[in-house]
Amino acid sequence: MSVPGSLAVTRVECAKLAAQLKTHLVLAACVISPFAFAAAMRVQSSLPEDTLFGRCVKESGFAVPLVVLGFAALWVFPALSSVVGGDLFSAEDRYGTWTTLLTRSRCRSEVFAGKVLTAMGFSALTVAALAASSVAAGVLIVGPQPLVDLSGTLLPSAQALNRIALAWASVLPPALAFTALAVLLSVATRSSAAGIGLPVVAGLTMQLYAFVDGPELIRRLLITSAFGAWHGLLAEPPFYGPLISGMAVSTAYLLVCLLIAYGMLRRRDISR
Amino acid sequence: MRALGIGFRGALAALTGVVVFGCGPSPITSGRIEAAIEPTFANLAHVQISWLGLPPMAASDFAVTASCSRLLAGSSAGAGDWRCRLVWKGPDSQTLHDAYDLVVTSDGCYTATAAEDTLGGPTLTSRDGRDVRNLLYAFEGCFDTA
Repeated sequence: MSVPGSLAVTRVECAKLAAQLKTHLVLAACVISPFAFAAAMRVQSSLPEDTLFGRCVKESGFAVPLVVLGFAALWVFPALSSVVGGDLFSAEDRYGTWTTLLTRSRCRSEVFAGKVLTAMGFSALTVAALAASSVAAGVLIVGPQPLVDLSGTLLPSAQALNRIALAWASVLPPALAFTALAVLLSVATRSSAAGIGLPVVAGLTMQLYAFVDGPELIRRLLITSAFGAWHGLLAEPPFYGPLISGMAVSTAYLLVCLLIAYGMLRRRDISR
Repeated sequence: MRALGIGFRGALAALTGVVVFGCGPSPITSGRIEAAIEPTFANLAHVQISWLGLPPMAASDFAVTASCSRLLAGSSAGAGDWRCRLVWKGPDSQTLHDAYDLVVTSDGCYTATAAEDTLGGPTLTSRDGRDVRNLLYAFEGCFDTA
């Protein structure tokens, strides 16, 4: 496997993605939804009080990206993370193009690496687009007022923005872990419906565990726990334990899923 | 096939280990909740005072002490409904008593709602006539469960 070979596959996959309507629709939704949410909050009297920072969404625009972050953890991140990853491999099965693809000058490992890089890149792009759009929507529609954090301290605007950027960065590892899970399911089932749908179902099932007061270790071993690790960044003093364990768990899921997916793809009999 | 069997047994052993060692006591304890709600309440009272245009007070001046207990009979730890009784010093140094109903989730976040109306409703009026949110009426916070 060579790096230029993998990058060549990545370029081709990115060009294919850029030509798809789905890609544009997903990115447009990431950009538009936070503005629609912030505008709705501005005009309506009720507040999303069941979500962290929902109470102060009219007081400070910096609450908007945090409410979006809390809400997105339920099913939006698993869906965004698997919309491309869950389809990249199974699409070749659907169109019957594996035989054409693998008779070209790129080996299976390069095709695998190129497709995984594309899926990971798209997931990171959706998270970044949602983050930037949420901050912009909050600041432009509500305003850059100081934010009351999870310890009751008033965070000045610049500090609030830093913490929010870190909080959004903290959901990248679990988002990429979901992408790896989607890649694995896409390779294993050869079905895009399973590749995209099952990670969302898995995410919702893991979220359900949060409502069951089960063993703490099991809760920490779920990818979705890492989506809430940012809470520690908005406390005074900040605590990083959940962030560290969330990153470790996400990395473990990512590596295991990719290793199994690669093993399956390498052993697959493409001639059938 | 044999390798698969070993792998399966290994995975089963690992899962059993996780379940056995993971079934320790819940990290949601009265000590952690009290340690979280005391400074949070004091910080919020500090902000509230400034929003209302009252003479400033440091968070430590409120001298908050909390005593929390789980509402589920026979259990002293775990997520769910809790009740916290707070004793604190008000702006005139008088001792005040308040109670909060808490919903605590397994990730260490809680929502506290005033159990009585001694702290006013959801909105208060500042000295200059503005309506401000009553930060002490309902608030949320998170603590480390590690």
